[in-house]
Amino acid sequence: MTFLLQTALLSRRRLLETLRQPVWVFMGLSVPLLYLALFAPLLTSLAGGPGFPAGGVLDVFVPGILALMAFGAGMGAGWIVISELDTGVIERLRVTPASRLALVLGTVVRDVVTFAVPAVMVVVVALPFGFHPRWGGVALLVPLMALLTAACSAGSAALGITLQQIGSLAAVVTGLQLPLTLLSGVLLPLSLGPGWLQGLGHANPMYYAVEAARQLAAGTLGTGTVALGFGVTAAAALLAVWWATRCYRRAMA
Amino acid sequence: MPVAEPARACAVRATALRKAFPSKGGRVEALRGVDLSIAAGQIYGFLGPNGAGKTTTLRILTTLLAADSGEAFVAGVDVRRHPGEVRRRIGYVGQLGGADLEATGRENLVLQGRLYGMGAAETGRRAGELIELLDLGGFSHRIARSYSGGQRRRLEVALGIMHRPAVLFLDEPTLGLDPQNRAHLWEQLRGLRDAGTSILLTTHYLDEADQLSDRLAIIDHGRVVAEGTPRELKQRYPAEVTITPKPGAAELDSLASSLQGDPLMGAVRIDAGAIRARVPDPTAGLAAVFDRLRAGGVGVLRVSLQEPSLDDVFLHETGRSLRDAGDPIVEEAEAAS
Repeated sequence: MTFLLQTALLSRRRLLETLRQPVWVFMGLSVPLLYLALFAPLLTSLAGGPGFPAGGVLDVFVPGILALMAFGAGMGAGWIVISELDTGVIERLRVTPASRLALVLGTVVRDVVTFAVPAVMVVVVALPFGFHPRWGGVALLVPLMALLTAACSAGSAALGITLQQIGSLAAVVTGLQLPLTLLSGVLLPLSLGPGWLQGLGHANPMYYAVEAARQLAAGTLGTGTVALGFGVTAAAALLAVWWATRCYRRAMA
Repeated sequence: MPVAEPARACAVRATALRKAFPSKGGRVEALRGVDLSIAAGQIYGFLGPNGAGKTTTLRILTTLLAADSGEAFVAGVDVRRHPGEVRRRIGYVGQLGGADLEATGRENLVLQGRLYGMGAAETGRRAGELIELLDLGGFSHRIARSYSGGQRRRLEVALGIMHRPAVLFLDEPTLGLDPQNRAHLWEQLRGLRDAGTSILLTTHYLDEADQLSDRLAIIDHGRVVAEGTPRELKQRYPAEVTITPKPGAAELDSLASSLQGDPLMGAVRIDAGAIRARVPDPTAGLAAVFDRLRAGGVGVLRVSLQEPSLDDVFLHETGRSLRDAGDPIVEEAEAAS
């Protein structure tokens, strides 16, 4: 009970912080919309070709963009953690009796919300451009991507506390960003590529989330790919939250 | 089993605390066996140069850091075994402050109260009380990023006492404050002490340790080198007579050496054109100085008697002046922890 209350209080604080900086809300939304407006038109000529159903390039492309949004919404957490290490906020919170897990989840919940709200908007905006989602699938797709956001958010926070320097964090996150996103096939499905590329993709946890997302958008719910996507992403999220909590606890239980 | 030991009169009791940090050249010992016994209800100062171990001690007592060995009880609770219980009983104002800069002062206070398990109504009342007590009324509705240094520090002290802790820890609370804000904060800390809060603070300002602390520990190289009330500590060392000659007066050397030969005088030195002589017994010592001045005929501008300062105490205990001391290696290792 106390734990839930603390998580709610800390999430509320984070959300207020985000609402006070509307420029970030705007930035978060502008990237996926730019992809839809300026990149998706390049794909239309591919419709009906390998990897793309006739008249449905966006059905393949939008799930990838949502995964990219989830990654971006979560990975910002480390920057905030470092600025709060510098201003002593984390130290102050660690001296309170608040649950260490609640301290981590406050940020995770905010990041999930800042992913989910623009994600729903992107789905709606994509409809007139030729996105034909199966709504049952989308109802599962957004929670799957929310899990991915949670994994990125907690992982980034743990990295921030461990590295302590903005420069090091930026190097690690940008170093991870391209391999993780390219090897999950966010822009084009990896199935278009050669075998070795697909093999590399299988070593990337994010790959399973993106594969499952494409099937969900197409309305295929009960497959092994979907189950594997949820399983791998949930495991990654649990592991990242455990790691971040351990970082907050580090000094003493 | 009760968590707190019955000896409630002790705000802090620590025995043989040791802590080393990894560093480039091997391990740096920040604490080499710190013992403390601090009675409740007073302002207790930790005085020492940067890197002496003040902050490390504070971080161990506030559950932020685990000691390598030794034990510590805060408000009667074992820091190692029951850190959660210690956290409920203490308030902490770190060197970095810790106010949430994107939230208003009131929001900061309310969140802090709720995290300590206070109810919504009680939290609101207490926040109002502290806004009044620490004079935050004019700006508590603005986000903390817009505050001046003094305003922010007052908010941070308010955060530290929101849940009425038994023991309040402050790490260099007046660092960077102008003299007026500093005096203001001292007054507020004295008020809190009078209301029953035990206060522990670190400082490297001599006057702060001297005027604000009821008792203090002088810390150097990870050890407590002296402990007592500021008056007790200073009385252990002789007062000093300063004889400032008139401009152009010669013969300082011969006067100094004649004073040196006097059994009533302690160490005598010439410093910045004036003679400084230690006088273990000020009454007899001053009389002897005047006898020699009458006999010697040196033109004197001024003779003054100074009480020993805490810097004198530090100098005697460590062989160097507090102003020159400081251990950048320990400081660095401490900062990285």
